[in-house]
Amino acid sequence: MLSIASSELIQVFRNRLILITSLIIPVAVSAFFVRQHETYAALGSLGYIAAIVTFTVAAFGLYATAVTTLASRRQNLFLKRLRSTAESDPGILAGLLLPVLVIAAVQVAAILTALAVVAGGPSNVALLVVAILATLAMLIGLALATAGLTNSPEHAQVTTLPVTLGVIAVTTWVGISGTENLAWLKRLLPGGAATELIMNAWNGGVAVTDSLLLLAPTLGWVVIAVNLATRLFRWEPRR
Amino acid sequence: MSTTPVIEVERLNLTYGDFHAVKDLSFEVRPGELYALLGTNGAGKTSTLEVVEGHRRPTSGTVRVFGHRPDDRQATRPRMGVMLQESGFSPDLTVRESVGLIGRLTRRTDDVDRVIDLVDLTGRAGRKVSQLSGGEKRRLDFATAVYGTPELIFLDEPTTGLDIQSRDAVWATVDRLRENGSTIVLTTHYLEEAQQRADRIGLMHQGVLHREGTVSELTRTLPGVIRFSLATPMPPLPLQADVDVDGKVTVESFELQKDLHLLLGWAQAHAVELRDLAAGPTRLDDVFRAISN
Repeated sequence: MLSIASSELIQVFRNRLILITSLIIPVAVSAFFVRQHETYAALGSLGYIAAIVTFTVAAFGLYATAVTTLASRRQNLFLKRLRSTAESDPGILAGLLLPVLVIAAVQVAAILTALAVVAGGPSNVALLVVAILATLAMLIGLALATAGLTNSPEHAQVTTLPVTLGVIAVTTWVGISGTENLAWLKRLLPGGAATELIMNAWNGGVAVTDSLLLLAPTLGWVVIAVNLATRLFRWEPRR
Repeated sequence: MSTTPVIEVERLNLTYGDFHAVKDLSFEVRPGELYALLGTNGAGKTSTLEVVEGHRRPTSGTVRVFGHRPDDRQATRPRMGVMLQESGFSPDLTVRESVGLIGRLTRRTDDVDRVIDLVDLTGRAGRKVSQLSGGEKRRLDFATAVYGTPELIFLDEPTTGLDIQSRDAVWATVDRLRENGSTIVLTTHYLEEAQQRADRIGLMHQGVLHREGTVSELTRTLPGVIRFSLATPMPPLPLQADVDVDGKVTVESFELQKDLHLLLGWAQAHAVELRDLAAGPTRLDDVFRAISN
C-alpha cells in the first residue's frame, strides 16, 4: 500500500495538470478568503470562512483530483496491472488515494492555521478536526462513486462538476443564510450538515452534543457514497 | 518434482450478457511445462486467461492455481508473474520505478537493475514510461513478469512488436527460467514460436478446446505437403497431386518419407527437374486453417 502511495506522490509532483488543480488552485482560492476574512466574516461568520476553505480544498484538491487520478489509472490499465500483484483491492485504492488525502488534510490544516493566526482561532479544535475528517471521508466516498461513471481523465472535468459545484453552493448557502429556515433540507444536502458543524466548532455558542448530531447526515452520505462506489466502481476500461 | 497440476480448469463457462465466450472448458497445466493456449480471434483465450489470472470471475466451473482460487492474491500472486497483453504502466514513472513498484507488490525479491538488464533496458532505466517505444514497453512488461523468478509465468503475446534480437533475448530468458523449473503459459499469434517451444498446445475455437496435445499430436492429424514446379509437360506423376496452370504441384501425404522417395525416384528415372522442391510436415498454421474449414 505504501509502495503505491509513494509512487503516486512522485506522479502528483511530475504531472503539472494535477499539481495545479490539486495544489495551487485550492490554495489560491483559500488564500483569497483568508485575506478578505473581514468581508466574509461580515457576510457570514469566521466559521463560514473555515467551512468554505475546507470545502474548496476537499472538492477541488481532494475529490476532483481523486476522480481524475482513478480514471487515468484505469484508462491506461495501471489498475489492472496493480491487481496482477499480491496487493488487495482496498490496499490498491488506499495507496492511490492516500497522497491526495494527506495533501488535502495538510492544506486544510495550514490554511485554517493561517486563518486562526490572522483572525482568531476556533472555539472547539477537536470538534473542528472531527468535522473536517468527516468532510474528507464524504468526498473520498463520492470520488470512488464518481470514478465509476468517469471514462477518462478528460471526462472527469465534466463528471465532477455536479459534486464540486453542488457542495460549494450548499456551503455558501448554509454559511451565509444559516439554518434557521429550511434547516432539515440544508442539513440533508451533501455538505450542509458538515458546514454547520464546522461553523459551530469555529464560532462556538452551540452545545457539543447538538453539534455531534450533525455528523449523522455527513456519515450518511459516506455510507451512500461507498454503497454507490461498490456498485459503480470499475477496475478496467469498458470495451 | 510434484506432479500436482499448477493450473486446473474444470468445466469453465464464461458469458457476457447472452454471448457465451467460453463453454465447458477443461484443461490443466503441469509443473515445468510450457503450455501454449492458442486460438482464432474471439476464440475465448483472453477471457480464459483473465479468469485464470484472477481478473475475471467465471460464470460457472472451477479454476485452481497452485490449488488456490485465482482471486486469492496473497496465496497465488507471489508465485506467479503476469505479462499482460497491453501496457498498463503509469506514463509518469520511470522504468526503474515501474519495475521496483510492481516487483515489490508481487512480494518477491530481486535486484531491480538485474531485471532491467535482463531485458536490455539499462540505458533507459531513468526514462519515463511515456518516452518508451512500443517494443520497449513490451520488454518492461516482461521484466515485471519475471521479477523474482516466479514459479508460474503468464506470457500474453510476449513478442508482439519486438524486433528479432529482442525476441531472441526474451526466449533466451524464458529458456533459463524453464531450466529453473518455471511453468509457462503462453499465448501468441506467432505460431512458429509455439511450434518450436510448447510442450503442449491447447487450441481454442469458438469458446471450446478444439484440440489439445503436443505439436506432433496436433499436426499428425493433417497430411504433410510436398511442393514443386514443373517446367514442361511430363510423364504422369506417380502420386495423387494437384497441378495448377503455372505447373505448380502440391502433394498431400500422410507418409511423407515414402512418398518423397517415390517422387524422387520418378524424377531421377525420367530426368525431371523438380524446381523449388519443398517438403515438410504439417505446420501449426495448417492446423489453424483446418479449424475454420
